[in-house]
Amino acid sequence: MKSQIAIGSRKKAGLIKIAKSTSEAISLCKEYFNTDVAGFQVEAILIEELVTIQQEYYCSIALDASGRQFYLIASKEGGIDIEEVSKTTPDAILKESFSFQDGVSEALANDIACRLGFSGKQIDAASQIFLKLWNITLKLEAQLVEINPLVMTPSGLIAVDGKMILDDDTAFRQPLVEKLQERKLSDLEKLARVAGFSFVELSGEIGILANGAGLTMALLDVLSELGLHPANFLDVGGGASKERVYKALELIFKLHPKAVLVNIFGGITRCDIVARAIIQALEDFSDAPPMVIRLTGTNEKEGIALLKQANISAYQDVMEAVKKVKEVLNE
Amino acid sequence: MYINEDSKVVVQGITGRQGMFHTQLMLEYGTDIVAGVTPGKGGQEIYEVPVFNDVKEAIKETRADTSIIFVPARFTLSAAMESLNAGINMTCIITENVPVFDMIQLTEKAREKGLHLIGPNCPGMLIPDKIKLGIMPSDMCHYGDIAVISKSGTLSYEITKAIGNRGIGVSAYVGIGGDPVRGTTMKEAVAYYSKDSNTKVIVLIGEIGSDEEEKTAEFIKDNVSKPIIAYIAGKSAPKGKRMGHAGAIISGDFGTANGKIKALKEARALIANTPWEVPQLIKEIL
Repeated sequence: MKSQIAIGSRKKAGLIKIAKSTSEAISLCKEYFNTDVAGFQVEAILIEELVTIQQEYYCSIALDASGRQFYLIASKEGGIDIEEVSKTTPDAILKESFSFQDGVSEALANDIACRLGFSGKQIDAASQIFLKLWNITLKLEAQLVEINPLVMTPSGLIAVDGKMILDDDTAFRQPLVEKLQERKLSDLEKLARVAGFSFVELSGEIGILANGAGLTMALLDVLSELGLHPANFLDVGGGASKERVYKALELIFKLHPKAVLVNIFGGITRCDIVARAIIQALEDFSDAPPMVIRLTGTNEKEGIALLKQANISAYQDVMEAVKKVKEVLNE
Repeated sequence: MYINEDSKVVVQGITGRQGMFHTQLMLEYGTDIVAGVTPGKGGQEIYEVPVFNDVKEAIKETRADTSIIFVPARFTLSAAMESLNAGINMTCIITENVPVFDMIQLTEKAREKGLHLIGPNCPGMLIPDKIKLGIMPSDMCHYGDIAVISKSGTLSYEITKAIGNRGIGVSAYVGIGGDPVRGTTMKEAVAYYSKDSNTKVIVLIGEIGSDEEEKTAEFIKDNVSKPIIAYIAGKSAPKGKRMGHAGAIISGDFGTANGKIKALKEARALIANTPWEVPQLIKEIL
């Protein structure tokens, strides 16, 4: 009985077990559905017939993104410890690269099947599986298609478990991706997706609104090095409208942070628009936490002037703004 | 890189909101934009730039040799293929959310034809005071001898502006983009600028995710003698959570900020602890 949950190493987490009777199966279902691993819940349970395993194999097709190619990967030592195998005995893992244009050829599939130790009719059975992996990769535009373990039973090869990594950006032409996209997100993260910005909930006390993923991450690094804890990651995106910034602030306020730090480097984003959204949000939310604002780039003078008129202090220098946040928290 | 003040630029998607806006900014910077392309809108003019129906026609009429693409993600594959098939030397893809398999096909085509791609999801390239092929702020810095190569957009603006504010000049700003499959990798950009006689120091701006920085560090060790300064964002990022960029997801043992910093240190790169430390490190080297 296999829990369907969006994490790896399920067996080690006690989420794959064998039921020997109906009553055992029922109690396992209850147990699984009450399990929470790292914030993920079991969404469904796959129940399969128990098979007699003679040998466990590993096989996958993986995209090597920075190498702009694919790998067909296979091993005789499949199963739950494949990560360990790749570290301790990398020679036990067969790995062949190929281009998108070439794909998995029959020759490559046969070669890997032979080197895995298959013989006779088994070679063809295994190589057919590798060719099918490539068909799935192409059809779903997957970055990983993995069977682990692929097992030899008295009646032949069976794929006992599998995993895929799909591309979010194909949602417009891959219905499966569109359907799966919402599942890993917290409720607030779902709200953010609809509003069009990247948002990750963290556990600290400082709400963050920034623009640019890299700049936002750098800001979180600086804060954590100073012993300050961000409540979230929020990249409001390029060219944000007043409505989008306002929505982002609304979302951050829902986390009940002790302070909010806004860090905007205006390129396409205009500082005056950001300032207007902040002023509006502070008017509408009387219980809003103290805000520290840093604005620089496009229309920064206009933005800072607007904030001053509304009695909100703004900084052009990041480190000054960070210091101010620390002061606010100590008050 | 592969562009200079003589490059003749065609803007694909020039009649869209972003295309039009940035055409204006690039023209103001002095970029020689000779043509725009939007299928079905040939014959129009945008800021006095003639619009054509396809890239081939644009080349025939204007001798364009460089393209910048602003079309929506679902049309990017065909727009960039058109540019490559027409023989454009450098195609810069600004568009974000381009499917990975589309980029794989485009990079294979570029290699086959011996042409250059950069992006997607990137701010483009800037040779200060000479040519702006992208969407980065125009006033970050003047021309000089520091090459800035970055995976991130806004963070690189912040650092490049800090460099400019200290009176240090930049030989080239190259935004390679935050997506997993890139037209130009960090390693390829470093290889180019390590041989560029106008560049004395290379600044690398990386972030968690992918193995670009690790592969680059490996290359630097044996091939680059110029000083390298690196800043890596995402030291405090939680494992397994996405931080906005498709490439920024930690998987396995590579891709962590500490892993990248370690690899770059072993390649004798200087590591900046915050983005604002970069200009100081440059001053010390110079």
